[in-house]
Amino acid sequence: MTKGYVLDPTALRTDDIESPGPEAGPLSGKTVGFRVDEMWRAWDWISEIWADEFRKAGAEVKFWRSAGRTGSEGDRLAKSLDKFWDSVDVAVVGLGNCGSCTGWTIRDALAAAAKGLPTTAICTDNFKELGRNLARRGGRSGLRIHVLPYPLNEKFKGDVDPVAHEHLAKVIKTMGAQLAAREAAE
Amino acid sequence: MNTTTKPKPIIRDCGPEGCEIDWLSSKRHQADLDIEDFTKFSLEQGWGDGLPVIPPTEARVRGFLAKGNRYPDEVVCKLPPMDAECTVEKIAINAVMAGAPPESLPLLIAALEAMANPDFELFGLNATTASVVPLVLVNGPIRDKLNIPYKHGCLGGVATEAAAIGRALRLVIRNVAGQLIGVTSQSTFGSPGRVAGILFGEWEERSPWAPFAERRGVKGDAVTVYGTNGTMNIIDTTSQTGPEFLEMIGKSLAYPGANGFSPAVPYAEIMVAVNPVWADIIHRDVPKLEDVQEMIWNFASFDADYITPKHREQLEHLNRVHKNGRVYLASKPEDVFVVTCGGTGSLHAAGFHSWGTCLTQTQEILSGPNAD
Repeated sequence: MTKGYVLDPTALRTDDIESPGPEAGPLSGKTVGFRVDEMWRAWDWISEIWADEFRKAGAEVKFWRSAGRTGSEGDRLAKSLDKFWDSVDVAVVGLGNCGSCTGWTIRDALAAAAKGLPTTAICTDNFKELGRNLARRGGRSGLRIHVLPYPLNEKFKGDVDPVAHEHLAKVIKTMGAQLAAREAAE
Repeated sequence: MNTTTKPKPIIRDCGPEGCEIDWLSSKRHQADLDIEDFTKFSLEQGWGDGLPVIPPTEARVRGFLAKGNRYPDEVVCKLPPMDAECTVEKIAINAVMAGAPPESLPLLIAALEAMANPDFELFGLNATTASVVPLVLVNGPIRDKLNIPYKHGCLGGVATEAAAIGRALRLVIRNVAGQLIGVTSQSTFGSPGRVAGILFGEWEERSPWAPFAERRGVKGDAVTVYGTNGTMNIIDTTSQTGPEFLEMIGKSLAYPGANGFSPAVPYAEIMVAVNPVWADIIHRDVPKLEDVQEMIWNFASFDADYITPKHREQLEHLNRVHKNGRVYLASKPEDVFVVTCGGTGSLHAAGFHSWGTCLTQTQEILSGPNAD
C-alpha cells in the first residue's frame, strides 16, 4: 500500500446566503408576480386559485410564462422576465416538477431574490431536494421553497383544485405573507 | 536572409518536479495510491464514476500540465449548476483521473467552453429527468492526432484514447459542474454516455459535404457539442436512391415520444450520422445539402391527429402544428444536422435526438499560446 497526496478534483462555490430574504408581509396593495410555464397545467390551475385569493386580499396579480430560454427567444424572455420582476413586489416561482424545470424555477427564483423581492419557489415533493440543492449551489441556501404533493400534473382538475385550497395557508406561511390586515396584526 | 530566431517558449508549468512557486491551488488529500484503493477512495469522496481511476498526484498533474502549455489557474469557464470556476488545473486533475492524454487538453478546454455557452442550457441539461448527455463531435486534423474514431464503430467500442477523453469531460461535469445523480440531477434512467461520453469524429475525407464545424463557421480543429438523449439506430437494407434513404431516415426519427415533440420544447434540433456509402448515394441523387436537410425535415413529422387531442392541444399552444396539420420534429430544415461517419459496411444511420431547447455550439480548438 503506497500512501501519497492527490489533488482535489472538485470545485466548490464558497459564497452562500442563508437568509430566506424579506417576508412578503400583508399582500393588500402589493403586486404579486407568478412565474408559470408551458408544461404544468396543474401549476396553472393552482396559481390561478391562489391568485384569486390574493386578489380578494387586495393584491394585484400578474403572470409571466416561461418558454424557450435559449437563442434569440431566450434573450427576449430573459429581458421580459427581468422587467417582470421589476414590476412586482412579491415573487412566486414555479413549477419545479421535473429536473430541468426545477433548475429553471430555482434559477428564476434566485434572480428575483437577488433583486430583493420576497421570493418563494414552488416544487413538488419529488423535486424538493433538487430544488434545495440547486438553491444552495446557486449561492442562496435560504431560498423559500414551498412543497406541493407529488405526483401532481397527472391528476385531473377536480383533484388538483383541493390541493390549491389546502396549501393556501401553508404557502402564505412560507411566503411570510398575510392575506388580511387582521392576520398581520395577529 | 531572415536571421530571426524563434523565441524560446514560455513554460507554463515546471513539469513533474514542480517549481519554487506552487502553481497548483487544489486541496491535497492523503490517500492510498494503489489503483484499487484509490478507486474506492474516490467513490467515498464522490469523485469517481465507478470505473478505476488514476490517482491525480502532483507529479501526474504537473506532467499533464507541462505538455499542455496553459496556466493552471486560468479560468476556462463556469459550469452550472455549481457555477464554480472551472480552471485548467481542475480539468487536468480530472483528465489524469480519467486516463486522458495531455495532448487532449486543448480539445477538453474547447468542449467545456462550448458547453458553458448559455445557449447550450447546461443548467437544465445537468438537472433534467431526461437521459441527455453532451455529444462531442470533432473535426479537423486533431481527430487523427488523438485517435478520435470516425470510421467503424465510432460511437463506441473502438479501442482508443477517445474513451478516456470523453470520460475526462464527464468527470469535469461531475466534479466541477456538480452534476450528481439524485442530488443535482434527476435523470430517470441515465445513459451509458454519461460515463465515457459520446465523442467521435466526422469522416471528412469520405463526406460529400463540407466538415460540419466548417459549415458552422469554424475551419480546422473544432468541437461541436450537441445535447442528445442517446443514439438511435436506423437500418435500411432496401433503399437504393438518395430520396429513398432520406425518407426512411426522416420517418424513423419522428416518433411521438421524441424529445423534440415535448410540450416543453418550442423549438428543437436533430442530428443524423450517415455512413459514407449512403452519403455518396444521397449526394449523387440530391446534390445540395440544403435539399437533403429539407427532405429529412419534411419526413421527420407526423399528422397532428396521430397523437391524442390532449397532446395535440399542448403542441398547438406552442404553435408547433403547421397549417398543413403536421408537427415537425425540427423547427426548420437548417436545424437538421447531417454528418458523415461510421463504417463502410453501411446499412445503418444513427439518429441523435436533441434535448430541450439546448442549442448546438461549435468551438475552435486552440493550442496553448506557445504550442508548435
